[in-house]
Amino acid sequence: MIALENIALRQGSFELSDLSLELAAGEYGVLMGRSGCGKTTVLEAVCGLRNISGGRIILGGRDVTQLPPAERGVGYVPQDRALFPTMLVREQLAFALVLRALGQAEIGGRVDELAELLGITELLDRTPDKLSGGEAQRVALGRALAHRPSVLCLDEPLAALDEELHGEMCRLLERVHRETGVTILHITHSPSEARRLAGCHFRLADGKVTRDENRSCA
Amino acid sequence: MSGSKLSGFRVASDKPFLIGLGVLGGSYLLIIGAMVLADVVFLNYSDRPVLGPEMVRQGRYTGGEVVVPVKPGRSYYFRKGKNDAGLRLGQQRIASDGLFLAAGDRAVLLPHASGRPITASLRPEARVMQIAVTNHVATVTTGVAHGLLWGEFIRVRGTGEPGWDGVREITDTATNQISFAVTGAAKPPAKLSLSKPNPLVQALRSRDIRFSIKLSLISCTLTTLLSLWVAVPIGYMMSRFEFRGKPVIDTLLDIPIVLPPLVVGLSLLILFRYMPEWLSDAVVYKWPAVVLAQFMVACAFAVRTMRVTFDQIPQRFEQVALTLGCNRRRAFWRVIMPQARGGLLAAGTLAWARALGEFGPILVFAGATRQKTEVLPTSAFLELQAGRTEGMLAVSLIMIAAAVVVFIIARTLGMKRIFA
Repeated sequence: MIALENIALRQGSFELSDLSLELAAGEYGVLMGRSGCGKTTVLEAVCGLRNISGGRIILGGRDVTQLPPAERGVGYVPQDRALFPTMLVREQLAFALVLRALGQAEIGGRVDELAELLGITELLDRTPDKLSGGEAQRVALGRALAHRPSVLCLDEPLAALDEELHGEMCRLLERVHRETGVTILHITHSPSEARRLAGCHFRLADGKVTRDENRSCA
Repeated sequence: MSGSKLSGFRVASDKPFLIGLGVLGGSYLLIIGAMVLADVVFLNYSDRPVLGPEMVRQGRYTGGEVVVPVKPGRSYYFRKGKNDAGLRLGQQRIASDGLFLAAGDRAVLLPHASGRPITASLRPEARVMQIAVTNHVATVTTGVAHGLLWGEFIRVRGTGEPGWDGVREITDTATNQISFAVTGAAKPPAKLSLSKPNPLVQALRSRDIRFSIKLSLISCTLTTLLSLWVAVPIGYMMSRFEFRGKPVIDTLLDIPIVLPPLVVGLSLLILFRYMPEWLSDAVVYKWPAVVLAQFMVACAFAVRTMRVTFDQIPQRFEQVALTLGCNRRRAFWRVIMPQARGGLLAAGTLAWARALGEFGPILVFAGATRQKTEVLPTSAFLELQAGRTEGMLAVSLIMIAAAVVVFIIARTLGMKRIFA
């Protein structure tokens, strides 16, 4: 689960205060808002990439407010995907597992499992510059899921994809959600995109998060 | 607004713009190429004859043809002056520079215009008159004063006896005598000829210049390693962190770039007056001063390069690595440094090349002592001071070669990254 309790954030002249959001474990949350309203900032705060000046962040029942990003158990897919240019797809998927000093066989097994889930088995020995936009998105997703995080943070994962890929990616995200049971926080600026996605909807406007009552959560 | 202006609108051709780009860019490229090529082409790579004293008394003749008495059967070296058409020898006419064999007993210099001074040069080739060998040292007497200096190198060709051929260092000279070691040769050969090897051979044989090549290579490599060791953390810090006083540090980092090089050397020299005696004794006017002087300037360039390199790597990579389980140190080494490899190579090459060319600060801070603090630019300077332009050119060629080799190595390593 994800719970933001009255958090306060400041970035230059931009300021958010007393912001709260609650998403139960295993839910698919969509956070909407206009460009520049601070969605990405909130997501970074969840991941621990941005210090908050007040409030608490609780992930999977743990207060992670003071924890470094590495110990929060989050998977992060930034908008630009940020695939490591010097690594093969296989190495990207294995990255989090190598850091946790897992055995070769275990890492190999997990990489194959992820590749199958995301349909990127063919791409394992490529470098990121040889991937299309949709392929890169799948790899970034796989990299973020490798260490079985309790929370997955997606920053505009469907932006910059064409219509056809858009639908395909939506189905893939739903499948990933179903099969891994991970709590997902997905942010988007597009209301139409939000409508296509299942789950709880939140709206960030004027420094407040409101729950969209029309979309009931499970 | 007239209708024809809107419907019949035409845009001017792109040609002048593109030609302009080509001409401006091309002319600079041409100068770069020509500049390097001039050094390579200017140097005469053949051996030179050993010549006696000048026979044309400069500034003496102004009117018409000039007769210079020569000995038939001897070789002479003729070099044209600005006002010379050539040389007449009986029926023979010599119009270009070089050695010739005198057929008659008079050579006539032919000026272009009478009334203007003749600046041609005519010098006899020094012939070997006598050879003596004592304790593996050969002493050769020449017919005329040879003008060779102690420590220069001479190419010896002896016919009939083993152990004479080769380039020898002159160990003693008199007006018309030179001595050199000939290990393994006991008897003088039937015929011995001497020539001066080209300046490149002279330079590469010279103990002083060999030392300066060695010191240059070692000090530049040390400087590069030191520079990268410092430039990577500073570049990363300046690129990633915001802190109070950052603009001041930024300016400080540029000081070695904008300061006149001589001032850098002088400042170091003065700084070491305040250092403990053992430290300044170990550094000033010794080889560590060479490395420190090179480092002060080269490092500033390496820092610039590394900072730009890190600036171009989005912070997003570290952020993702942090969420995947890295701390800052691991994110730096596993994610950022592999991407910075190209920049690291560029910074290293730049630092190496800067260090190789560093002269002013070294002259002031380390001095120009042969076999002690002499690096290649110092050698070039000392050659020039001694009036040996060709020697300076030879040292320059060695520097060009060293720079090209390092550049190619860096490029090859950089390529691997692209093709891997």
